[in-house]
Amino acid sequence: MSAGGAFGGTRGARPVPPEKGVFPLDHMHECDLEKEDYLNCLKSSSHKSEKCRRFSRKYLECRMEKNLMAKQDMSELGFAKVYMEVSEEKTANI
Amino acid sequence: MSWSKLSRRSQVFYYLSKNSLLVAFQSRKVTEGFGYVTPTTGIWLRCRYSSWSVTQWPQFSPRAYHPVARSCTQLEFRHHYASVALKEKKSRKMLIYLTALVFGMVGCSYAAVPLYRRFCQATGYGGTVQRRESVEEKISRHSRDGTVMTREIVVQFNADVADGMPWKFIPTQREVRVKPGESALAFYTAENQSSSPITGVSTYNVTPMKAAVYFNKIQCFCFEEQRLLPGEQVDMPVFFYIDPEFATDPRMDGINNLILSYTFFKVRDE
Repeated sequence: MSAGGAFGGTRGARPVPPEKGVFPLDHMHECDLEKEDYLNCLKSSSHKSEKCRRFSRKYLECRMEKNLMAKQDMSELGFAKVYMEVSEEKTANI
Repeated sequence: MSWSKLSRRSQVFYYLSKNSLLVAFQSRKVTEGFGYVTPTTGIWLRCRYSSWSVTQWPQFSPRAYHPVARSCTQLEFRHHYASVALKEKKSRKMLIYLTALVFGMVGCSYAAVPLYRRFCQATGYGGTVQRRESVEEKISRHSRDGTVMTREIVVQFNADVADGMPWKFIPTQREVRVKPGESALAFYTAENQSSSPITGVSTYNVTPMKAAVYFNKIQCFCFEEQRLLPGEQVDMPVFFYIDPEFATDPRMDGINNLILSYTFFKVRDE
């Protein structure tokens, strides 16, 4: 069964490695609190990601602090001010 | 015409037999002549016919019995051989052409591999990955454009472990509802339930296949060996982003569910 396409169809498709590489594992559980915050937020907002954006941002910032992630400007990762304000409005509205 | 006459004088006469034209020009006791024989091949062979006079045996009728000896001379053979040689030359040429053609085709099939690769990269035909912008560039471009998405996509998570691997590997949340253009975070939890450190490596895939093009992973834990000590539990994050172009693609009209599936394989245990 092949979905068509030239030169091998779906057989040619292979997983693309992540853009920024691999997350080093958090063996020391340093960012556990932020992770828990984020997960709780997800549960309460029926898994809507946009409502919990600031928690995910906090988690990533924690990772950057603890050297578990390459430091980068948040806006480049999609956490620009505009988005954050929009998501915070939404959280406030719940 | 009787043979006796021939035997006395020289005459040129044409004697037509079944399949040969006999030309006699000598007058001797032994009458010699040249015959042009056309065997079935159609090549004219010039052979010398010798027939001796039958006056010695008058009891035999001249027409009934003509002892004929045939010897085809060198000249005739040479002429014959020349045409054969010409044919041989032609066949040899043909052989060389055909051999060259065979080698040419084999060479072409070897050359096809890099040629196809270049063609695909240039045109992106068949889903080949072209040089395209990174996720950060995409994000900055879309934030500049101010594109606002309304369509919500549900991303569900699935976790698998290879046979014989004593890890407990589950997604920490069942699903995440995300809009295209928003970067989102998700977690998986893995626990080593054995009594020895185990190293594993994971791979992923996204279904449906055609939507996988728009699913960009910014960072995750796949394709690299991860080592867990016995009894250790660890959370593995995945940071991904769905391309806003997903919303404009007509092929994605009916797709509102994506499933991200990870599978862990054992590399070694100590």
